[in-house]
Amino acid sequence: MLTFPAAVRRRFEAIVFDWDGTAVPDRHADTTDLRRVLEQLCTHGMHVAIVSGTHLGNVDGQLGARPAGPGTLLLALNRGSEVYVVDRDGPHLLDGRVATTAEDHALDTAAVAARHAFAARGLRTELVSTRLNRRKIDLIPEPDWHDPPKADIDRLLDAVTARLHAAGIEGLREAVAIAQASAREAGLADARVTSDAKHVEIGLTDKSDSARWLLGFLQREGVAPGTVLIGGDEFGPLGGVPGSDSLMLVAEAARATVVSVGKEPAGGLDPVVLLGGGPPRFGALLLDQLERRRRGALPEADEDPAWTIAFDGDAERERAVHALLTLADGRLGTRGPSLVSSATAPPAVYAAGLYDGEGPETTLLACPVWHQAPHPSTSEATLRQVLDLRTFVVHETSNDAATIHRAVRLSSVTRPGAVALRAECARGAGSACPPLLAPTDGRAAEEGSTDGTAWMRIAASEGGVTAAASQRVYPAHRDVEVLERLGVYAADPVQLPAPDAARGRLVDLEQAGFEHLFHEHRRTWAARWEDAYLGIEGDPELERSARFALGHVLACAPDDGEAAVGARGLTGPAYRGHVFWDADVFVLPVLAATRPAAARAILEYRVRRLDAARAAAGAEGHAGARFPWESARTGRDVTPQSASDRTGRVVPIRTGALEVHVVGCVAWAAAHYVDWTGDRDFAAGAGARLLAETARYWASRARRTPDGRAHLYGVIGPDEYHEPVDDNAFTNVLARWNLRRAAALDTDAITATERDEWRRVADALVDGYDPATGRYEQFAGFDGLEPLMIADVSPRRPIAADLLLGPERVRAAQVVKQADVLMLHHLLPGEVAAGSLTQNLDYYEPRTAHGSSLSPGVHAALLARAGRLDAARELLGLTARIDLDDLTDTTAGGLHLAAMASVWHALAFGFLGIRPHADHIELDPRVPSDWSALELRFRHHGRRITIRAEPERLIASADGPVSIVIGGQRYRVDTSGLRLMLRGSGHWRPTAQLNEEAV
Amino acid sequence: MTTVLAAIDDSNAADTVLATAAALARLTGARVKALHVREDGVERARAVTEAAELSLVEVAGDVVEQIATAAADPDVQVVVVGARRHPEGARPAGHVAFALLRRVRTPLVVVPPDTESPATLERVLVPLDGTMRTARRAHAVIDLAATAGLDVIVFHCFDVDRLPMFTDQPQHETRAFEHEFLARYAPDTPARLELRVGTPADEVLAAAQALDVDLVAIAWAQILEPGRARIVRELLARSRVPLLLLPVDHEDSDSL
Repeated sequence: MLTFPAAVRRRFEAIVFDWDGTAVPDRHADTTDLRRVLEQLCTHGMHVAIVSGTHLGNVDGQLGARPAGPGTLLLALNRGSEVYVVDRDGPHLLDGRVATTAEDHALDTAAVAARHAFAARGLRTELVSTRLNRRKIDLIPEPDWHDPPKADIDRLLDAVTARLHAAGIEGLREAVAIAQASAREAGLADARVTSDAKHVEIGLTDKSDSARWLLGFLQREGVAPGTVLIGGDEFGPLGGVPGSDSLMLVAEAARATVVSVGKEPAGGLDPVVLLGGGPPRFGALLLDQLERRRRGALPEADEDPAWTIAFDGDAERERAVHALLTLADGRLGTRGPSLVSSATAPPAVYAAGLYDGEGPETTLLACPVWHQAPHPSTSEATLRQVLDLRTFVVHETSNDAATIHRAVRLSSVTRPGAVALRAECARGAGSACPPLLAPTDGRAAEEGSTDGTAWMRIAASEGGVTAAASQRVYPAHRDVEVLERLGVYAADPVQLPAPDAARGRLVDLEQAGFEHLFHEHRRTWAARWEDAYLGIEGDPELERSARFALGHVLACAPDDGEAAVGARGLTGPAYRGHVFWDADVFVLPVLAATRPAAARAILEYRVRRLDAARAAAGAEGHAGARFPWESARTGRDVTPQSASDRTGRVVPIRTGALEVHVVGCVAWAAAHYVDWTGDRDFAAGAGARLLAETARYWASRARRTPDGRAHLYGVIGPDEYHEPVDDNAFTNVLARWNLRRAAALDTDAITATERDEWRRVADALVDGYDPATGRYEQFAGFDGLEPLMIADVSPRRPIAADLLLGPERVRAAQVVKQADVLMLHHLLPGEVAAGSLTQNLDYYEPRTAHGSSLSPGVHAALLARAGRLDAARELLGLTARIDLDDLTDTTAGGLHLAAMASVWHALAFGFLGIRPHADHIELDPRVPSDWSALELRFRHHGRRITIRAEPERLIASADGPVSIVIGGQRYRVDTSGLRLMLRGSGHWRPTAQLNEEAV
Repeated sequence: MTTVLAAIDDSNAADTVLATAAALARLTGARVKALHVREDGVERARAVTEAAELSLVEVAGDVVEQIATAAADPDVQVVVVGARRHPEGARPAGHVAFALLRRVRTPLVVVPPDTESPATLERVLVPLDGTMRTARRAHAVIDLAATAGLDVIVFHCFDVDRLPMFTDQPQHETRAFEHEFLARYAPDTPARLELRVGTPADEVLAAAQALDVDLVAIAWAQILEPGRARIVRELLARSRVPLLLLPVDHEDSDSL
């Protein structure tokens, strides 16, 4: 077999190619071998797409392939007007462009006019009108040139050119120009005029439409453009007209590898790789791809900087990199590379909700390790790791002279709990490592092996985890073999699963195989991004960082059951996996808008701990439900009572006892989820219970004073520098909102007496608002503290002001750790005094140290709302880099999931001004002038909505009718979209009035 | 066999220098070589050496030159010198110690005259500035001390100019920071970490006293120009326990 250039000596995930002249020499050629190769490529997971100007009968009739998958065979035919998928039952139309009667008439008119123009020059032509959505004008209707083979393209071109010259027409380019002019005159503004030398065609579509459709399909399959191979035979110009295959080189294909097997008489076209050799050479290329897959070639990353994050060996940061590259599927989190292992940076696996220990010592259980490849090197200095953000697959390459060269691994989001690894090893090394290793914490693991399947299980204080894994090793080529490992985890917080619980699922995995798991995993991720697309045009680094943050948030929870989303998710051991308000008010909103089922799982975690919260309230002498500041398995508070701080002092930790706003945060999360999703069952059932029980807590905890006012004494607000405080504005206003929202519930489970009482308490609750200043006092007495601007004591922010000034000074000063009053404006903008953001932002922001990683993202959102876009961008940029730059020196312990979620908050709630309501979405975009566009996609009440905001233009679209309110105007938006322009008055006005309706 | 070179003068400081050298030698299994450069007397030096059952090598010439020459012997593992002759008050190191600090690439222990030299070293404080460069240099000491059974306390002080941005939840955050700091800068050792906030020299001195350490080991770049090595200068002036100074390469030595 002839060798190929380096550009194609690798595995591709999809191949898109021209039919005539590329795959077959003519329409009568035997395709037996081609059919077999294409079917087998699909069997091995490759997507195959044929692009042709001709119709189904010609291509399918000649090829006759009937692939079984998992790779898809697509036929993009009729010059961009139809797409068929072919399976074992034959071809099925997936999409088609149907010309309107007017378009058909215009095509006829254009063709007749063009023929008249040619005839006027003395050129006899013939019209072929039977093609879908196009008219073909035969420039050389001679018997000798009735059906010329592609191999005769040179002679054909010479003959046509001579004929055109005889008519005083310069060549094909002028012939095409004549047809284009005719099309325009016929009213076809976007006609596609092409030529294959013999014909000039006037159509509604061309191969560029095929290419765009196919690349869109591949994107939805999770196939990155850089892993696509495009093949053709006519990329270079033909008679001065762009080669027909050059139309496939659309913008979406910019990262694809392109090869030509044609003669390319005028030379190639950058960046086409010229292979030459015609269909036989192309057949060899297909065979080469098939052979690579048979040998277990590893999928390769498309290192598109917009969608990948790469790390080269860095001994100092290795543990932080492990966290950054965690692969999570909502149930399982895997960190640490496969090719390298060191005692100071051990690999780790965690299972969601699986804890060990009691009380404050409750911690995530370390699970068996599945992903360590044999004979790993001990130095990460030689390692390159690439995280593909599209699919959350990690690609590793080692340049160490060790026994392992490359590895690819994934944690299946299609089958949470299932994992897969494929690695290239030196011959003989593949089977040297058991598929499961005990975690490095020294905990006893029970293990065994049955029928080639290894299993290992570890008991927690209650329940435990059982993992099962199998591997196979097969030769790749002379010195290299492939190790393929599949694993399954069964985690149960109540009962230690039996080995069969995991082994049974492993059988299904083995039947599916690595390629199938890889295939479905990337497709599931593609579907997630389809609902959660994020683009920041004009700031590529921020865009990538934001996608990185969003991707990890999308990965943190499953679609069913309950989700115990700890402060660091499943990305590391820090915070012991304890669940804070981070999950309810930071992570949940992102998921409610992009993965509603995952948001529901977060709420289910609280719902299932409602009894524990009731018991906690009762123990405090209160009614209702008192959710804990830190929660783990049982739902009882697991906040430590004391801890050493960085000054070396042991300090009491009072958040567990006093930071009660978490109660209202759980209620807010439930309501917010309903606003996004319209989930009626939840709203009427578990959601109502959460709101009612939290309201009962507030009603019983509030204390009335003789003046009739209600107070919440002895709490800690989000600003944890001050403790305890009375009447914290955030806590009180949140409680007030909680009481009123619960009182408005339509349920028999709340008595009329309760409703009345809740409303009375809500009305009486002190909120610290001063109408004269438009400002909320953060808590009773805050205004009397030492006035202190952070800029006066520190040249920079964020700054841990408690360490800078000492806890006593910050307690006595107007120094704020994180958004407190302002958190109200972020979470409950409708519950605070209208127009009070500016006053409170002016007052509190300079006093805020941003000493919590939760603070800058929220402030970025609020600054954007206030139109202070430069300041907003600065804090947004910082938030997006907290873990990527390890700004805390603790990323090694896991990612700051809530801060990552706040990146999305800043973009969605801040810059776009999105607010979900029961019957509409509210928008108020404010986009920096140097961002060409901010684009987000999300779901509201089941409808997928895309918002593209440019500094002075807004485009909104939805996959079904939705209501969007902008500047007080309600618009009905659907697939046809809404376009608004920002007028000089600062108001958005439609560029085309589409379905506007008055409020 | 490796050597601990004890450079003693003819003052009372000779006792503590020799005692410190002996303690270090026991730790490493080295022998003590006592060196005296004759200046204005030799009786005290001879007496303390004899009491320690060691022989004294006496040489003549420039003191710094002679000690530096002896320290260049590949067998010399560490050089022990007195900080200065007299104990009173906080003062800079004497001219001999000061000159050796910059010249000798061998680890140098500077013994204050008023130190209470223990018969054995039990606890060592290793201040680290949070860079790999100093950590690498200190690692051998940490490893050796830990292997010898010493209580090794790694120490890190957040200078007010380098305070962390965030403290989040201190009940978890401090532990996460400590875990990573030790993994990065003192891996594979049983060292424990003490954190402080403040002026590093002050905090090192305070911790050395509060934690009752016998030795402070610190890496530095041997640059004593104005504005540099503030911590080392302060420790030399004020420490009441011996300082083990570990030279590191000069690059990127702003913090030292």
